[in-house]
Amino acid sequence: MEFLWDGLQQAVELLLSGDDEVLGIIGVTLRMAFWSTLIALALGLPLGLALGLGRFRGRGAGLALANAGMGLPPVIVGLVVALLLFRGAPLGGTGLLYTLDGVILAQAVLSLPVVVALTAAAVQSLPDGLLDQARAFGASRGAVALLALREARVGVFAATIAAVGSAFAEVGAVVLVGGNIDGQTQTLASAVLVRVSAGEYGRAIALGIVLLGLVLVLAAVLTVLQQRRPRTALGRPS
Amino acid sequence: MSEPLLEARGLAARRGGRELLRGVDLELRAGEVVAILGPNGAGKSTLLAALAGLLPAAAGSVERRARVATALQGSALADRSARANVEAALRWWGVPRAERRGRADAALAALGAGHLAARRAIELSGGEARRVHLARALALEAGVLLLDEPFAGLDAPARADLLEDAGAALAHPERAVAVVLHDRAEAWALADRVLVLLDGRPAAAGATREVLERPPAPEVAGFLGFTGRLELPGGVRMLRPSHVVLDPAGDVVATVVRRIPAEEGFRLELELPGGRLQAPAPLDAPGPGEVVRLRLAGGVEFPLI
Repeated sequence: MEFLWDGLQQAVELLLSGDDEVLGIIGVTLRMAFWSTLIALALGLPLGLALGLGRFRGRGAGLALANAGMGLPPVIVGLVVALLLFRGAPLGGTGLLYTLDGVILAQAVLSLPVVVALTAAAVQSLPDGLLDQARAFGASRGAVALLALREARVGVFAATIAAVGSAFAEVGAVVLVGGNIDGQTQTLASAVLVRVSAGEYGRAIALGIVLLGLVLVLAAVLTVLQQRRPRTALGRPS
Repeated sequence: MSEPLLEARGLAARRGGRELLRGVDLELRAGEVVAILGPNGAGKSTLLAALAGLLPAAAGSVERRARVATALQGSALADRSARANVEAALRWWGVPRAERRGRADAALAALGAGHLAARRAIELSGGEARRVHLARALALEAGVLLLDEPFAGLDAPARADLLEDAGAALAHPERAVAVVLHDRAEAWALADRVLVLLDGRPAAAGATREVLERPPAPEVAGFLGFTGRLELPGGVRMLRPSHVVLDPAGDVVATVVRRIPAEEGFRLELELPGGRLQAPAPLDAPGPGEVVRLRLAGGVEFPLI
């Protein structure tokens, strides 16, 4: 257990000294999580709304696909994205392999089904009649979708929290697509892996603490936003 | 007479492959309130949805000469303030932003809900939520207003209060209103005309008082509270409990079958040659098996066909 204690001491020293390398990795991680979540939300919210509210052929299959997508093995997604980005592959011309943009793309692919499935489930669980009433008062399709999004915001925030958490925790796809390049594509989670492999437990634990701290802070902020409405202990007054 | 704002001819509608409504002719004219009455499953809400265009007509036609707003069953308020809910409905309806606040506040005030404007929907009681729901329908100032059971699920005092306020608020010389109701007393309080649906078909239509007092067929009478039935030579007489008076000097003799607890005592179920009747009775009413004398004061007679 002594190495664990030593590691913790090193971690505190690293964090207090404002180590440039650690700050750089935090920056890469935040950029990757921010952009990948943004892309997943931009594509996933409309898709989730369409699957949750729509009445069209293939809707069930789409929902099943989104639900299955939440369980996609990240390593496989990383492998497929990397193969597509190899020179000579369909996306080889984009030059995204071993870049942060490529990592963001892979992570967005992983987060997308999470956002789609959780958004669809959230809008499907809205009270009966809410959206029908809006339509009966002349609401356009877009207005109904906005209403659904607003009323299902607890679920939508849950989807966002899940997407951000998945981005912070991701290793396999990051390493395969980004190459885990120091200062460029290395995120906190992938950096921990490298440090542990190199026997640098102190740095690994320091990065791990930062990662946990980030997850906690962001989850707390999003949870506060999610729960920002009055609660009644006994439900609706009679 | 003015041209109807909404006109249905031979209207039929289906849901889930089943025909739930057929053969409905209905005209809604400016300034009138029409009640659509019927038991559960009679097709009332289906008719309203078809009139609104929310459900396609399986047969027949609906001609709308004014914009139609429909307040569906249940309040279905969004998780925001009462005023914001009304303003949202006005936005969907296409009302310019500058007008929304004033119209929302006026509609809430008309329904006696002005003091609820800043209250969140989740904090409203069932009766308050109904008021806000009705207010947002009124605020739209639609030519045709369709209301689906706006008083359902309210307790008696809340229902009586809302009925009074709604009656005043709905009456408008340029608006036609059709309101689905479950209770004939609500129709009596609100409507100029009624349409009674039984099993998806129109069974009676006409002025409220006329239909409620002189229903055109025994099955309509049964639905409208004529629970007593006496076979007559060549016909049948149907009576409401209020038409049957316990009177020791009465000329009709009947036997008590059972006592049904009622608000101020009992409703007695009585058997006599040729039929069964119900009569209101006090708490010390005779029990099952006892013989009583009655006086019959009213009812409607139908010839046997």
